[in-house]
Amino acid sequence: MTHYAMVIDLNTCVGCNACMAACALENQSPVWDEHKWRTYVHDKEIGVGDSVHRRFFPRLCNHCDNPPCMSVCPTGATYKKANGIVMVNPDWCMGCGACALACPYHARIPITYGDVAQGREFYGSDYRRSSPSMDKCSFCDHRVEKGLKPACVETCVGSSRQFGDLDDPGDPVARMVASGVARPLMPHIGTRPNVFYIDDLKWRG
Amino acid sequence: MDVNTMTYATQDLWTWWLALYLYTGGLGAATLAVTFLTDMYLKPHRNLVLWGAGAGVVLLSLGSMMLFGHLLHHLAAIHILNPLAFILKPDAWIAWGTQFIIWMMVWGVLYALPYARETPFLKGLPLVGKVLDWGLVAKISAAVQRFRKVVGWLAVVNGVGVAVYTGLLLQSFPAVALWANPGVPLLFTVSAFSTALAFLLLIMYTVIKDAADEKIRVLYERVDLVLISAELVILFSFFFYLKRGSESAMRSWELLFTDFGWLIGFIGFGLIVPFFLELKGVVKGWTSHVPIITASVLVLMGGYLLRHYFMYAGVYAYPW
Repeated sequence: MTHYAMVIDLNTCVGCNACMAACALENQSPVWDEHKWRTYVHDKEIGVGDSVHRRFFPRLCNHCDNPPCMSVCPTGATYKKANGIVMVNPDWCMGCGACALACPYHARIPITYGDVAQGREFYGSDYRRSSPSMDKCSFCDHRVEKGLKPACVETCVGSSRQFGDLDDPGDPVARMVASGVARPLMPHIGTRPNVFYIDDLKWRG
Repeated sequence: MDVNTMTYATQDLWTWWLALYLYTGGLGAATLAVTFLTDMYLKPHRNLVLWGAGAGVVLLSLGSMMLFGHLLHHLAAIHILNPLAFILKPDAWIAWGTQFIIWMMVWGVLYALPYARETPFLKGLPLVGKVLDWGLVAKISAAVQRFRKVVGWLAVVNGVGVAVYTGLLLQSFPAVALWANPGVPLLFTVSAFSTALAFLLLIMYTVIKDAADEKIRVLYERVDLVLISAELVILFSFFFYLKRGSESAMRSWELLFTDFGWLIGFIGFGLIVPFFLELKGVVKGWTSHVPIITASVLVLMGGYLLRHYFMYAGVYAYPW
């Protein structure tokens, strides 16, 4: 059985934001609103004086094995595929927002009627969305189904983002997770995420 | 990840309107449940039942419309109206809550139907009067009278379900310490029944004004006093749970317990002042109804403030 996961190496993320652009165009996100991108790279300055470090932190849906956004979804619009990818069916999503409140990773995005109308203008006749919903990253499921990598992984210049199969012991992603070098965010909440981070050693000294 | 790079944030997706939905839901449902239980086991009371069913339907409709208005995709709401929704999604409290609300209204209206058919005011209303005279409605009314307690209990169970659901909904959001704990459904249920009793005392002292209801009013005042005390105890435990809890909890504590609206508005005027007003009423009595009416208005105001502050004070801890 395939169990998709992503590893993000914070040491090699240079904050170019190419992942954000690739994701937005691949998934036709509302690029006119910076709060509505499926993936976002946070840019922080840590420290004072001569010891200031600039830190980039990419975030996206963590495709949890125990996703609270799915359990609170009253219509069943949020569902999990056998390969581990958490999806949302926009036709079934009424946009109550419970998933956004349940998600500890700030990964659910409200797409409004206004965004759909603007999307038609911005993306033209190629625009695929027909109704509003609480949107989220799909690990580019449509690409993965064809054997391709998610757009953000494909475009990452520093190979910071890597995508693989946790159930394949030979997969580099599975090996990094098994070794403990790549760790999930906030595991104590019990969401069992499938996005893992390699901490930035420069900041940690 | 490193804790020294955490970001703490409140949410702006569910705000005052969701607090109003939780408030009207709890208040309407508990009012219906209290009046029906009073009618079934204390004293048959047409006016109370009509007020209870009316409040249940009107307040729940208002709250549900508030939620519906804020949906992103209104047509998709059809999926949640499916009576099997909570069987298909048993882990989603909104699915349960929607069915509780619908069935509470259905059984509530049915239970009140025989009383409505005896009420001159309702029979005099242009459309309502005609509907109440329909043959089918008369038959349904007769059937309800035959199975009065079954219908009453179906309405009460769904009403209690609505009141509990408002807290369970918040409890299901695991990232926020203020919400994701078993104290929330307890607090919201106690508050729902306390506001319901305050609402009924207000109605009985200002609208119904029947001297024969004195025993019911005294009972309501006593029960409300117990519920306000229970609410204060639960808030006392929340105070320490938040103050000595996780970073999310401590930040919620800072938002709540340094805010005059919460401290003076809710805890002071919404709980402590009505507690003492009702305590004096129960122990020594009042020569006027004004103190109990004042206490009721304050409890009703406090009920909304509780939910308002809860929505705004939930803190997320993001690792970036």
